[in-house]
Amino acid sequence: MIEFQNVSYAYEGTRPVVDGLSFTIREGEAVGLIGANGAGKSTVLKLLVGLISGTGQIQVDNLPVNRQNLPSIRQKTGFVLQDSDNQMFMPTVYEDMMFGPRNYGLSMEEAEQRVDAVLDRLGLRELKHRYNHKISGGEKRMAAIAAILAMEPKVILMDEPSTALDPVNRRTVINTINSLGQTKLIASHDLDMILDTCRRVILLSHGKIAADGQTEDILRDKALLEANRLELPLCLQGPPRPI
Amino acid sequence: MHMADALLSPPVAAAMYAASAAAAVVSVRAVKKDENPAKLPTMAVTSALVFAGQMINYTIPGTGSSGHLCGGMLLSALLGPQAGFLSMVVILTIQCLFFADGGLLALGANCWNMAFYGCFVGYYLLWRPIMRGKFPMAGATRSAQRVKIILASLLGCAITLQLGAFSVVLETSLSGVTELPFAVFAGIMQPIHLAIGLIEGGITAAVLLFVHQARPELLMDADAGGGSAGNRRSLKTALAVLAVTAAVAGGGLSLLASPNPDGLEWSLFGNAEAGYSENLGLDEEDYGVSSGAADAAASIQEKTAFLPDYSFADSDSPVGTSISGLAGSALVAAAAVLVCIAGGFFRRKKAAHG
Amino acid sequence: MDRLSRARSGLREMDALAAGGSPIHRLHPLSKLLVTVLYIVTVTSFPKYELSGLTVMVLYPVLLLQISQIPVSHCFYRLRFVLPLVCAVGLANPFLDRAVLLTLGRIPVTGGVVSMVTLMMKGTFSLLASFVLIAATPIDQLCAALRSIHVPGILATLLLLTYRYIGLMLGEAAAMAQAYQLRAPNQRGLHISAWGSFLGQLLLRSMDRAEELYGSMLLRGFHGEFFYVDVPRLKAADLVYTAACAAAFFCARRFNIPSLLGSLFVR
Repeated sequence: MIEFQNVSYAYEGTRPVVDGLSFTIREGEAVGLIGANGAGKSTVLKLLVGLISGTGQIQVDNLPVNRQNLPSIRQKTGFVLQDSDNQMFMPTVYEDMMFGPRNYGLSMEEAEQRVDAVLDRLGLRELKHRYNHKISGGEKRMAAIAAILAMEPKVILMDEPSTALDPVNRRTVINTINSLGQTKLIASHDLDMILDTCRRVILLSHGKIAADGQTEDILRDKALLEANRLELPLCLQGPPRPI
Repeated sequence: MHMADALLSPPVAAAMYAASAAAAVVSVRAVKKDENPAKLPTMAVTSALVFAGQMINYTIPGTGSSGHLCGGMLLSALLGPQAGFLSMVVILTIQCLFFADGGLLALGANCWNMAFYGCFVGYYLLWRPIMRGKFPMAGATRSAQRVKIILASLLGCAITLQLGAFSVVLETSLSGVTELPFAVFAGIMQPIHLAIGLIEGGITAAVLLFVHQARPELLMDADAGGGSAGNRRSLKTALAVLAVTAAVAGGGLSLLASPNPDGLEWSLFGNAEAGYSENLGLDEEDYGVSSGAADAAASIQEKTAFLPDYSFADSDSPVGTSISGLAGSALVAAAAVLVCIAGGFFRRKKAAHG
Repeated sequence: MDRLSRARSGLREMDALAAGGSPIHRLHPLSKLLVTVLYIVTVTSFPKYELSGLTVMVLYPVLLLQISQIPVSHCFYRLRFVLPLVCAVGLANPFLDRAVLLTLGRIPVTGGVVSMVTLMMKGTFSLLASFVLIAATPIDQLCAALRSIHVPGILATLLLLTYRYIGLMLGEAAAMAQAYQLRAPNQRGLHISAWGSFLGQLLLRSMDRAEELYGSMLLRGFHGEFFYVDVPRLKAADLVYTAACAAAFFCARRFNIPSLLGSLFVR
């Protein structure tokens, strides 16, 4: 479904953020992309949807990422941005959710049906006509995910979907992610969340793959994680220390 | 400098709407022609930023008071004149609708006074010539650029605010709502706005300098300053030149705007003998006003005024205010109070049911 | 610096009011806009001595405020922005125009006083009217109405987008201002050394935000077109409302209603 072949990318005048990266993700896989700050996680996601372009080959659903294919690739992928405020630019949740489907040529009725279906499925019906600047952080994150789902993407990309959420909202987001059957690539520092949502993990370090494998194996490897400025997930850290 | 609806008569307001609408149409065309789809989100976010920036108090050194930002020059330096104008229009619209700054009818005038001068005049007459020209110092060194930014911001804000303040005076006088003689009103407004303009210029310069240092590519007509950091001496001389220019410009403007009515009348209308009274623009022949706009506005006013010399048959005064008028007004007031009481009654009833 | 948070809560308040469900809220946005403009034009077109005729115009905002159940207190709080300039301009009138127009008992009332009061009433009335408009009309509907009278799409979209981000920017600026004040408790405003960097920092962040925002548009297939809520059709009620208001304003302007009313009782 997703294929990176020797992909590199450098911001102007700095050393590469992504450095000769190669990996493949099969259809239906849920992959966690982990690594320290600046390891290149967000860059990988941006490269994948052609917001930035580097060197090497990237394929999404057997289509190489290039100018020609961008519209169809972007239609197949849904990208949940880290800051939901940057994603939800229309005044109301409803208008924002309509934005994607309408742009891809659905009629008003079809688009609205889709929006309603997604909202019902996520139990967000009452958010429909609320203002984006008035809903809470948790609601905003869910609305942002809903807006992406309304496009019915085959691949879902998420950048830090669990940041700045309270435990209940975080759990809601995790359950939602787990209920999605699509191919998923989730970039995050929240290793507990990765443990709950992904079967496979790619650990990035300085733009290169430091490890790629089963989540349980990698997230239990204390030495590997600490060498890459990460820690064991809290739930794997053993019994709590006495206070 | 926001004008309120009450300060404008409908013909003047309509004329200003037309003028601002024309500028907006030109701007929309230009932005569309630009075909840069990324511009729209940038404009929106920048307008929102300037909106927030307007709410910040900037302490003026040496005084206890604080200055504020209006933002026309800042927006045109960041987005260009046309996009800057549209952004400013949107800011003014939101201020008018949500914050009661200005008014719906006065929006056209406010757009003209604040957005048009700040963006178009400020950009084409000041920002671009200064940034691209050789004055006060040639070269694309970083320090030369910095001096130019300071100069353009100070001059730009001072001059465009003078124009804006003068328009406020002109529009108010043409609307005939104040008894203040034109020259006195101008004499009050212009010096105040010179001070406001220079402070706004200072704030604008500070922000633009910061942006120039961090991300020079964001500024219109500015070079990244690829050369050396420039030597301090040239910066100093340039700053001195700048201070003198600012002082001369400021002095000249305040002289022009001094409350001495003769000078102002002469310079404006070439008729020192004419006295000014409240309804300037209604009887322009008597006052020697010969500007086409005034003529047009006055003739429109004559045509649109429902009954220009309206008075009641049974009263000699032009007020139409007689005992019956007073009694009637009292009835209206009573009716208004009644409506409020009824509204409160129904609300309570509804609350009791709910 | 509290203006930032005040502005933010003001914005929220207006949103909450606009979400109401009164008959006024349900009117077509275009007809509300038109009536409001007509009202303000009528009010401002009264001659400066036409005080008694003007008083009847108070009924429109009062009625609307009551029907739409919008608290009047919100509205008068807002007057503090507009009235100063109006008063400053109007206050000169009593000193400059001393012709006695009428005497109330023994007190002579000069033209200046009448024109000053007229001016202040005009200011208050037109503000009340635009307040009711925006308090009873959500911004997206208003933009839809603007588009239906062929206001360029760029402007309407820009208005929507800017409105969306103003709350956010006010919040960010307020947070920065608070952080500043915590470390500079004795300053009332921003020191000159921070004039540039304060707004400049925010500006750089905003530019990144704009870029990200544009990216998110592109990812959802943006190609220069925005989609809005549908403009509702004009219903018979909207037309009746507009026509009735227009007729009422015309009558109020054409005939001095308070004077006529009064003459029924006093002669």
